Amino acid sequence: MRRRIAGLLAVVLSLTLVAAACGSDEEDATKAAFIFVGPVGDAGWTYAHDQGRQAAAAETGVETAFVEAVPEGTADFGNHVRDFIDQGFNVIFGTSFGYMDDMEALAGEFPDVVFDHISGYKANGTNFGNTFGRMYEPRYLSGMVAGSATSSNLIGYVAAFPIPEVIRGINAFTLGAQEINPDVQVEVVWTSTWFDPVVEGDSAQAMLDKGADVIAMHQDSTAAGEKAEAAGARWVAYNSDMSAHAPAAHLTAPVWDWGPRYVEVIEQAMAGTYEGGYFWGSMADGTVDLAPIAADVDASVVAAVAERKQQIIDGSFHPFQGPINAQDGSVLVAAGETMADGDMLGIGVFVEGVIGSAG
Amino acid sequence: MSRPVLVRREQVLRGGQPLAFGIGLCVALLVGLVLLVGSGHDPLRVYGRMFEASLGDPRAWSVTLNRAVPLGLAGLAVAVAGSMGLWNIGAEGQIMAGAIGAAWIARIGGEWPSPVLITAMLAAAILGGGLLALGPAVARARIGVNEIITTLMLNEVAIRLVQWLVHGRWKDPGSNNFPLAPMLPDNARLPGLFERAHFGVVLAGVVIALFGVAASRTAWGYELRVAGSSGATARYAGISLERKVMTVLILSGGVAGFAGGIELSGAADRITEGLSNGFGFAGIIVAALALMRPSGVAAVALLFGAVQIGGQSIQTMGVSSSVSTILQALILFGAIAAGVLSRYRVEMVAGEATEVTG
Repeated sequence: MRRRIAGLLAVVLSLTLVAAACGSDEEDATKAAFIFVGPVGDAGWTYAHDQGRQAAAAETGVETAFVEAVPEGTADFGNHVRDFIDQGFNVIFGTSFGYMDDMEALAGEFPDVVFDHISGYKANGTNFGNTFGRMYEPRYLSGMVAGSATSSNLIGYVAAFPIPEVIRGINAFTLGAQEINPDVQVEVVWTSTWFDPVVEGDSAQAMLDKGADVIAMHQDSTAAGEKAEAAGARWVAYNSDMSAHAPAAHLTAPVWDWGPRYVEVIEQAMAGTYEGGYFWGSMADGTVDLAPIAADVDASVVAAVAERKQQIIDGSFHPFQGPINAQDGSVLVAAGETMADGDMLGIGVFVEGVIGSAG
Repeated sequence: MSRPVLVRREQVLRGGQPLAFGIGLCVALLVGLVLLVGSGHDPLRVYGRMFEASLGDPRAWSVTLNRAVPLGLAGLAVAVAGSMGLWNIGAEGQIMAGAIGAAWIARIGGEWPSPVLITAMLAAAILGGGLLALGPAVARARIGVNEIITTLMLNEVAIRLVQWLVHGRWKDPGSNNFPLAPMLPDNARLPGLFERAHFGVVLAGVVIALFGVAASRTAWGYELRVAGSSGATARYAGISLERKVMTVLILSGGVAGFAGGIELSGAADRITEGLSNGFGFAGIIVAALALMRPSGVAAVALLFGAVQIGGQSIQTMGVSSSVSTILQALILFGAIAAGVLSRYRVEMVAGEATEVTG
């Protein structure tokens, strides 16, 4: 009897040891957490990030988790991050601009955790880095398609906030539209929200009522497209291929593919080589791209877009190469020059041909 | 044809409010259990995590207390007006107005000693919140304009005002053209208390206690209740209704503004459009749950804070934010419903007319 108990004890003890070993194994494993500003079902910005998360999980085999709809500028972000770190997560992705300073502070507090921030302008050179994409490249191409599709020469652009990222996109889009259609004008409506289907839809409707026959957007829902569809107008979506939401209106969309960058950050974190620098992905590395163009767009336009895309990728063309005038007619980029990355990142004025205020 | 009506009980159910909350909580957790099983989660693990993250250890308590501060002060703001039968639906905007006041002082007082600066910031916060309530207060007192509408509409105004400041005048020149106010200087930040908790926990506790005493132990509080239950009686007793309505609504706004000042100085890096974070609207629920009594506000705010913090943390286990939000609403709804049923009973009566007897 006693031997049996001893035997049982031995088994239990060894099981405990194995469990403990597994446990500590798990603690050492890389686990990546994502903090999203919107709901993953938004079909837009957060949806694209969640696609990237799933792709990275599949490719690296690393455990991932996320929280969604986390507001900016509150204590919620930090609470979530601490929760995740408590549970052994050691790579944190924050996918909204307003998380930047919280991430910077937390990175100082948790030097062993990698913090990668999407869309800001800060990094610390060690465990806090910045990731974004040259969305202006496919924005330019989408503008070319939109410029060919308008007959009223008025394009409505439903946009969230007048920040450099959005202004840069509107400028690139407008320059692309002007390349195909020099008479085109792009009118901007600010919604003051990234995700609010009602406001986005109303703003699109206001532009349609004003005579716009193409709607472009820098928003996270599909509401603008649904209004365009109902009005028989066309639509340039954003973030992901949204053709399923407005099949007749959908022209194309500048889209994100976050997967490769997420894989890279996770692999660097695993190898201990993450450097906390600046990453600005492009069409060349696949971070940004243009969704398939609608079948009824003229073949010559499709060919012109394909040619420009190749030129942007190989560096022989830049959407912000001069001469470019600002909205007020002053010279923004002189002939023969190209806007520097730093100027693009802080851009605060519209190009000529945009209607609306950038402030 | 018979239909149910609510009839006020002669006596509040024995065991009173705490028992009612307990029962409501249990019912809500049971309904939530179905929801969690239905969405493929282990309810015991989820509930365990909710508890652990909100009340499980000192750090969890500190986070919950921080959350209870704006909820409690917003609840107090609504309750102060509510004790007189007035509805301040504008706490959300008054929080913002308070934060604007505090942020403005922080901009000019960067060199002041910290206690002086923080005191001035909080005073400006009270003024800011009170100022936003001034219009509705005067309109209600002088010409009887419904304060629900006016306070509600001013929410939007206050949030747009923050937006306008952050996108324009207060935009940090170093922010690369991003609409960001500069970070608060270090001397504008409330000192810490323990773990994550900041000193605002103490300040909020003191303010709520003061109002609790004022409401139940002073002539001022008595007059409020009289004025709230019957204007005619109040006038007969020589209480000036106009002045009471005005001071109470402005005071209510000031309390909400104070919440904004504390939230800015204790929890936020800088003033942003997200600062009020729905606390002002949640404050209406807090006040209703506390039956408009300042004395109940602190306990309810703590429960509410724990539910919010716990509810948020289960998202990290893969529970979607919608399920987490539904769960939070269930718990609060359960507690409110039980609170009502402890004071009223359901009776079947004949007839068509609908009215609540009480």
